[in-house]
Amino acid sequence: MLRFIGLRIIAAIAQAIGITILVFFLMRWLPADPVAQMVGTNASAEAMAQARTQLGLDVPVFRQLSDFLGFTSHLGAPGLLQGSLGRSWITSKPVLEEVLEFLPVTLELITYSMFVAFALAIPIGMISATNPNGVVARASFVWGLFAGSQPEFWWGLMFAFVFFFVLQQAGLPHAPPPLGRLSPMLDAPAHITGFIVLDALMQGQFKIAGDAAMHLMLPVGTLVFVISGPIVKMVRQNMGRVLASDYMLYAQLAGLTRWQVGRYALRGGLGPSLTLVGFIYGFLIGGAVPVEVIYSLNGLGEYSVRAVLQLDFPAIQGAVLVIAFVSLIAYLIVDCIHALVDPRITL
Amino acid sequence: MSVSAATGTRVSGRQRQRLVGRLMADGLARFGAAIVATTLILAIIGPWIVPYDPQSTTAAFSEPPPPILDWPKLLIATLFQGAPAPHWFGTDNAGLDVFSRVIAAPRTDLFIALAAGSISAILGTAIGLLTGFSRNVFTEMVMRVSDLLQSFPVFITAMILVSLSGRSAQNIIITLGLVYTPVFIRLTRAEVVVQMTRGYVEAARALGNSSWRVAVFHVLPNSIVPALIQLSTTVGFCILLTAGLSFVGAGIRPPAPEWGLMIAQGGPQMITGAWWMSVFPGFAISLTILGYAALGHALEQAYD
Repeated sequence: MLRFIGLRIIAAIAQAIGITILVFFLMRWLPADPVAQMVGTNASAEAMAQARTQLGLDVPVFRQLSDFLGFTSHLGAPGLLQGSLGRSWITSKPVLEEVLEFLPVTLELITYSMFVAFALAIPIGMISATNPNGVVARASFVWGLFAGSQPEFWWGLMFAFVFFFVLQQAGLPHAPPPLGRLSPMLDAPAHITGFIVLDALMQGQFKIAGDAAMHLMLPVGTLVFVISGPIVKMVRQNMGRVLASDYMLYAQLAGLTRWQVGRYALRGGLGPSLTLVGFIYGFLIGGAVPVEVIYSLNGLGEYSVRAVLQLDFPAIQGAVLVIAFVSLIAYLIVDCIHALVDPRITL
Repeated sequence: MSVSAATGTRVSGRQRQRLVGRLMADGLARFGAAIVATTLILAIIGPWIVPYDPQSTTAAFSEPPPPILDWPKLLIATLFQGAPAPHWFGTDNAGLDVFSRVIAAPRTDLFIALAAGSISAILGTAIGLLTGFSRNVFTEMVMRVSDLLQSFPVFITAMILVSLSGRSAQNIIITLGLVYTPVFIRLTRAEVVVQMTRGYVEAARALGNSSWRVAVFHVLPNSIVPALIQLSTTVGFCILLTAGLSFVGAGIRPPAPEWGLMIAQGGPQMITGAWWMSVFPGFAISLTILGYAALGHALEQAYD
């Protein structure tokens, strides 16, 4: 098991670096010119050439790659081998530092969303599977089809409009605020996990934790809205398959109660659904971008939008590397949990 | 005895369930087909039937839409009494008519989505057929590359490709086509591998057909259905991604009529109560994607 996990982590690192190198070449091959963007298109040829040298873009592409990886260093800057992702061309801060600052925001958002979505999906999926002609089953079918592919950025705006504007106009005193992570009057808690609600709770700052939770309500609600559809569908399908299997028929014939049967079925049916969790988690790390943008959460998605629009190559490479790595690790964790839940699988 | 009685009720219950399922799928199929047809027709004639030019400003800025109860009266006045067309969905803060833009947008969105979907389906099916049909070191390598591409973060990759190659419709089509190709490779390859074990492939070979003839005329027709079904879903995803890219500012440039762009431009106005600028295009996307998903689901059911 440990050997398997170790190998998979090495494979994930290799794959993430592979993806980053592909992106590295793509960015330099595509026609966009970061130098012109930085110094302005009216700049003199000397200024352009100087900026090109400063950014390290004047040497051949493979030389640039070996600089990035840390084999050579013609600008005197450390590379990936030395544990550095370079410095941002816009802020001049180390990219790794920036990315690690923005990553927890995104992780917090999608982790809570996954928990809430699953807490809703498991009972709904179970009820639909045990009673396939019931109201719940039909509603969840329509829901799965509907919410499975919806423009989350539009629903986010709608939520902000309804809960913040309409309800506040209607005189509701505690509308969930639609912008940022904390009210401007409050100080962020000291950094422990980077999850702002958890950090505040661990330090006993309940007021800050409550405020942060309020700020997270709308973004989490939006993501839950979008991802709950496929999860419910998956749980229902797997539960349905398990319930139709021979060992479930046997359990029913042996006279077990419905709840006991349901518990056994849950264990057998949850495994495949967990695979979907890993998949959605990996997808959301790079895919929750529009939701982060709407609610100005300042997460990794927003960071990468900014990096792409400003043609900040080191920041783009760093964001892609971290996003790819985290999603690959999410798949790995799910495989391990899968093996723990389902006794038929050994790693 | 009791066992057979139990299974007896089970079967009838399941039959009823299947019937309900089929009816539902049927209704879904009609719903999906209606939406797909509407968007296709709008993509063709949309820009010709709009009451206002979707790209030029009118005198009315941020005008709210007329109350829904006045709509029949206004419709009669416009159609028969020659009154100027009202701004059915209001105007945005630049004075553009929201209704005209929502109607004209399928030409942008649908065109991109259909072109990108077709590219990925054709490319993916061809590569899938090749890698499933002849398995050697080269095709194994192709599969590894495809796997690597599939583990790319889709949204970010599309954002990088589009904004670095220039934010034009053509570049969005190429990008989305590439991003969704691995799905089709995987689907077609899995199906081809199954078909290869069937007797008819061997029979076709024994009759003296060349390998590529067997692949294209015998294996391909029998393994293309999953890819065709996937196409409906993929077109929906392409619409979503096109709109999402312009929403974050990395897609089509304004003032082109495009749903995601309209939602993005109307978003900040929403907080001040001007909801109509992004609510209507949002409804349009939401309904369109639902239609494509419903059609895809119904096709899938019919195939199984």
